[in-house]
Amino acid sequence: MTEIRSPMSDFTPRPAQQAVLEYPGGTMGISAVPGSGKTWTLSALAAQIILEGTLTENQEILIVTLTNSAVDHFATRIEGFLRDQEGRPLLPYYRVRTLHGLAHDIVRERPELAGLDSNFQIIDEREANAIRDEVANTWLRTNPHTLDEYLDPELDEGRRDWVRRDQLPDLVKGIALSFIRTAKDMQRTPDTLRRQLDDLPLPLPLAEMGAAMYSDYQRSLAYRGAVDFDDLIRLALQALHTDDDLLGRLQEMWPFILEDEAQDSSHLQEEILRLLAGSNGNWVRVGDPNQAIYESFTTADPKYLREFMAQADLPRELPNSGRSTRSVINLANYLIDWTQREHPVLEVRNALDVPYIEPTPEGDPQPNPADAPEGIHLVETKFSPDGEIQTVADSIERWLEEHPDETVAVLAPRNTRGFALNDELRRREIETVDSLLRSSSSTRFTAGALGNILQYLADPGSPGKLARVYRVWRRADRGDSDLWKQVQATAKILQSCRHVEDFLRPGPERDWLEYLREQDIPGDELDQLEGFRLVLSRWLKTIELPIDQMILTLSQELFTKPNDLAIAHKLAVLLRRARNMHPEWHLPELTGELAVIAKNERRFLGFSEDDTGFDPDKHKGKVVIATVHKAKGLEWDRVYLMSVNNYDFPSGMEYDSYIPEKWFIRDNLNLEAETLAQLEAAFSRDAYEWYAEGRPTYEARMEYVRERLRLLYVGITRAKRDLIITWNAGRKGNQQPAIPLVALQSYWKQNGEVRE
Amino acid sequence: MPSIANQLTPDQISIIEAPLDAKIFLEGHAGTGKTTVGVERILTLLEAGIPGNQMLLLVPQRTLAAPYYEALRSPTTTAGGAVTVLTIGGLAKRMVELFWPLISAEAGFANPNRPPTFLTLETAQYNMAHLVRPLLDQGFFESITIERNRLYSQILDNLSKAAVVGFPHTEISQKLKSAWSGEPGQAHIYDDAQHCANLFRTYCLEHNLLDFSLQIEVFRNHLWPAPVCHEYLLENYRHLVADNVEENAPVTHDLLQAWLPELESGLLIHDLEAGYRRFTGADPQTMYELKDYCDQQVTFSESFSASDEVLNFGYAIAQSLLPEDESGPFKIDDVPFPIHHSPLDSTRYYPQMLDWIVEQIALLIEDGVPPGEIVVLSSYLSDALRFSLTERLDELGIPTYSHRPSRSLREEPATQTLLTLAALAHPHWGLPPSKFDLAYAFIQAIAGLDLVRAQLLTDIVYQKRNGRLSPFDQIKPETQERITYKLGNLYEKLRLWLDAYIQEPPEELDHFFNRLFGEMLSQPGFGFHADYDAGEVTANLIESVRKFRWAVGESLEAEGIPLGKEYLQMVDDGVIAAQYLYRWQTQIEDAVFLAPAYTFLMRNRSVEYQFWLDIGSRGWYERIRQPLTHPYVLSRHWDLHRPWTDADEYDASRDSLHRLVLGLIRRCRRGIFLGLSELGEQGYEHKGLLLKAIDRALRSAGKEE
Repeated sequence: MTEIRSPMSDFTPRPAQQAVLEYPGGTMGISAVPGSGKTWTLSALAAQIILEGTLTENQEILIVTLTNSAVDHFATRIEGFLRDQEGRPLLPYYRVRTLHGLAHDIVRERPELAGLDSNFQIIDEREANAIRDEVANTWLRTNPHTLDEYLDPELDEGRRDWVRRDQLPDLVKGIALSFIRTAKDMQRTPDTLRRQLDDLPLPLPLAEMGAAMYSDYQRSLAYRGAVDFDDLIRLALQALHTDDDLLGRLQEMWPFILEDEAQDSSHLQEEILRLLAGSNGNWVRVGDPNQAIYESFTTADPKYLREFMAQADLPRELPNSGRSTRSVINLANYLIDWTQREHPVLEVRNALDVPYIEPTPEGDPQPNPADAPEGIHLVETKFSPDGEIQTVADSIERWLEEHPDETVAVLAPRNTRGFALNDELRRREIETVDSLLRSSSSTRFTAGALGNILQYLADPGSPGKLARVYRVWRRADRGDSDLWKQVQATAKILQSCRHVEDFLRPGPERDWLEYLREQDIPGDELDQLEGFRLVLSRWLKTIELPIDQMILTLSQELFTKPNDLAIAHKLAVLLRRARNMHPEWHLPELTGELAVIAKNERRFLGFSEDDTGFDPDKHKGKVVIATVHKAKGLEWDRVYLMSVNNYDFPSGMEYDSYIPEKWFIRDNLNLEAETLAQLEAAFSRDAYEWYAEGRPTYEARMEYVRERLRLLYVGITRAKRDLIITWNAGRKGNQQPAIPLVALQSYWKQNGEVRE
Repeated sequence: MPSIANQLTPDQISIIEAPLDAKIFLEGHAGTGKTTVGVERILTLLEAGIPGNQMLLLVPQRTLAAPYYEALRSPTTTAGGAVTVLTIGGLAKRMVELFWPLISAEAGFANPNRPPTFLTLETAQYNMAHLVRPLLDQGFFESITIERNRLYSQILDNLSKAAVVGFPHTEISQKLKSAWSGEPGQAHIYDDAQHCANLFRTYCLEHNLLDFSLQIEVFRNHLWPAPVCHEYLLENYRHLVADNVEENAPVTHDLLQAWLPELESGLLIHDLEAGYRRFTGADPQTMYELKDYCDQQVTFSESFSASDEVLNFGYAIAQSLLPEDESGPFKIDDVPFPIHHSPLDSTRYYPQMLDWIVEQIALLIEDGVPPGEIVVLSSYLSDALRFSLTERLDELGIPTYSHRPSRSLREEPATQTLLTLAALAHPHWGLPPSKFDLAYAFIQAIAGLDLVRAQLLTDIVYQKRNGRLSPFDQIKPETQERITYKLGNLYEKLRLWLDAYIQEPPEELDHFFNRLFGEMLSQPGFGFHADYDAGEVTANLIESVRKFRWAVGESLEAEGIPLGKEYLQMVDDGVIAAQYLYRWQTQIEDAVFLAPAYTFLMRNRSVEYQFWLDIGSRGWYERIRQPLTHPYVLSRHWDLHRPWTDADEYDASRDSLHRLVLGLIRRCRRGIFLGLSELGEQGYEHKGLLLKAIDRALRSAGKEE
């Protein structure tokens, strides 16, 4: 690449960003610290390549990222760069995809190669869950005593029975999930796994369990003509491996691959992109291995990105971040330092890595906030769980009054803690935003409105559901609190209507509305009810329509925003398909399906405009409550990190306990980890890697400790200025502050604390 | 002579008025007046005194005969017996019916003395399901992901391909396997498919069942060579007109080759660059060989349909699709493109594009364009899309019609009602309806009953456990009052009728429907009273049941399975969709036509304005991917052992898009509206070949109206 010019004339890249923009081709690995503007830099790079005009009409830059909201974000950024530029093509010369979206694109090129029919279905996470549950239960029913040898021998028979009934199902379901996911990640079909297990000289009982469930699960999918999200990725890779022509064509089409959030890449994602990039390809990966944190079981691992960076033609760093004060930066950097040099467990010292975060250079348009060491509070007090909540709530209450125009978040390691605090703040009438805890989305909102109506239509005699439909119908008035109170009151009246038909289709002398007129009800509301009755009688007629037409008809009356209408249209198409697959389904089943679809389809839909695009600045003066995982990529003026104790942040110490190790399993075994290790052992050619019981549990522990260190790092780096970390001693009062917290406290005492 | 005579060109007239024994091969692009010649030729033959019943009009699909029907029905047409209009399948079926006793034994049927049963697609699928289902449980097809009903239809499709392409059905798997380029272990699915095809064929022969493939094979292998039958054909049909010969499969072309020398006259019409029905075996290559069997070859090149501007746009797309193709036609640089596209910055979502389209249609109509001169074309017409467009246009008072009814029969409320009541009336089937279904049936069956009361009633009177209804007068008086006595009375009548029916020995399902409709539902006070639609739906349902009975009644009886129960379960399984084309005959009117692009092409007419919807979609060129069958590999020209590669796939896509675009623009007289939204119907971003080609064409021209 020759001359570089910034695609944005009014912005000069920082030197580190400029170094990235001078990309001449080849492999480039960029390690980016939190807040370093990596998405901006990557978008600028994409825009620059497009403007240089080297792409032919059949070529695109392929951009792969993690979430749908990131997909939109990228597109908006790139469009922003390209706007007003001369020679801009009509069609975008780039394609932004999540990994699932990309896999879908690839598989759709030649579905029959993967044994798929043109109209193959992708089942959503909930249906996959339901199938796994079924599969796990079946396995337990037919093998009631196979796991007995893993139960704690101390348990008496009565207790064992209870464990089998009450505890094992959940454990086995969890194992089914991770086993199937891992097997797919290893590109193993149930068939090849079966053969492998049959050929082994020694039995692997846990792998046998997993294999049986995997095989059942895949059969269930095939019966439905469906694949799951993991299959999609597996099959995409398979297509690239088996069809050189296809690979060649895609390589030609995507001469540049830019990958964001590469620390969350799995082995398969890396392999797909490696193939697409080709041996001398142009492949840029940006990520922050320090931010590799996971909410549920995943095959992703930051080691892939680290290895890539070590071998890339061009290793680069984006170390500057204008997000936080010097004090917050120092704390985060110290955590890296301490982990690498002083963590008591040697094996986890690689959990965090350089580069350190550096403030932006002088004159940068994004200067760091003025330092405010007084904003840092690493609280040493030993609280009870409730005491911690009260203390945080007190602190927020005081602070909010003085800072109504600032942003604040409380981040907890788990949802339950977040909800507990949420309840307390609401009790104190402090406004909170808990949408990140609830992972709400516009898809779900649209579907929710439709779902409420469908639920009523499936059970039209229910006054409670009728009242809910009324609230849906009047939902535009939600913004006006007085009006909304009235709506709620009217809904309550509707709820008291004993005979719904007397409202909807009254016989002579039985008009419930007439009866209301004699009561003390405001005339406005009566008019509203009259109108509602009219609308409802139209909606009731829609039950004669096929489900898709029903949805479309209702949505035409309910929605005006294009986004809502588009989602409704898509829901109509999908429900129609569901109905075709299950011709015996009627309204009640389809209503249930609507909720399912709403929850999952957004995984690679383009309807995510305001799905997860959470903007903290829109919630000034309110308290955002989230888990640390959900807070990734976000920032607030003030951040509270709660529950930083050795239960949620264990450090590999003797006295630590680990959530994945169940009390009813002997020898503290992590049965999930043991099962996965047996799966890997089955395919291992190395005799030294043969399965040894207990080792996988230990390794899983170490991995957990590492992830928790990164989680803490992510939590700290969410703060722009104020950071308050607290801990509690747990329900039994025996928990300790997390060791890294203690280390941070002592560092802060020596180096930063402001003495009053 | 009809009045269009004076509009005909000398070229057209010379064919129309050719000697009565002329054999002519006529080709030309769409819109060059070929079908007009075909129609006029038939009229001329009639006028010359040749009886209509000595003429055969052979078309690949009945819709393509529409212009002929129109002319033949015209009051000015010379009388002289009806011209026979057939597809190859229709001809085969007719011959099998006529000469069955002659060839049934020779063709291998186990009971040659008993009559044949012709299978519809539906009943063939039913039988296939019956045979394949046990194999699925044994692990057949385990490594592919496919809905069961699609699996059955693909096996049937393979059999049809073998029949129309003309190779033994036992070679299906060999051909498919030899072209397989995926993982080698996966190729065994073709053996599974072969096994099922063989099984089905054996079963058909054992039970005198003839699906489409067997009808064709019996005709080709046993009837055509049989002297009696051959003579019959030669005596009956002396003159042949075959339109759209390129849409026929090789076996039809073979037949024409053999037949032409023996006919008195023949006119074969070839639509250049068409061949849209590849997926059914259409083969333009074997068609070309027919040329040599005609005395005269004529090519038409003057277009009557498309304007130069429209053609120019089409050529530009064609050029950017196949830049390496030097045979042209080429666009002319200074002719503007008569196109409009949806505004790029305000159509992110699919429904926004629909709004834009509706707006544009309304403007055209305001400007005086007749609705019948507008078509809205998409790659695939989902029900949601059709419904959305129809509703929007309806609101503006713009009439529309579509290529098929808006719902399948089984989705009709009347059908659901009949099926639910049938289940209720036959408790020994053990299929008691759910409360929701029954409440729904009551609303339809009892006029004036609303959803709330229907549910209240059902909750009280119906026990799903034993599937029985209790009398109305056993309900508490207060609740009776809520439901109203009038409605209760009607319910009671229906209940008593059902009760009386249950007491008697059960009747055939179609008879049951007949009675239920006649004795109850069509009576005053009941829901189907004076409801023409419900009557029509009932009639269609009865017909579907009857066909089902003919096809499988005997074998079900032998197994002791009640036919009605089986029918209901098959409807629930989706094996029987009970999909009927009804009222399509009346749809040729002045209305906006909504259809998939290929359906429009198969109607062979031109319009002033076309709307191309969702031009980013891949559906415009991508064949339907089917893991168990393959139209190209099973064609006559695919070399055994040549793998089907990605490059083949891509070339096939470009080629079919090329044909499609040229086919469309040649049927467009004034302008094209391009509908484009950033996200498609399913919410995916679309960047298909058509969009890219248009983009390229626009940019290279640097102009746009």
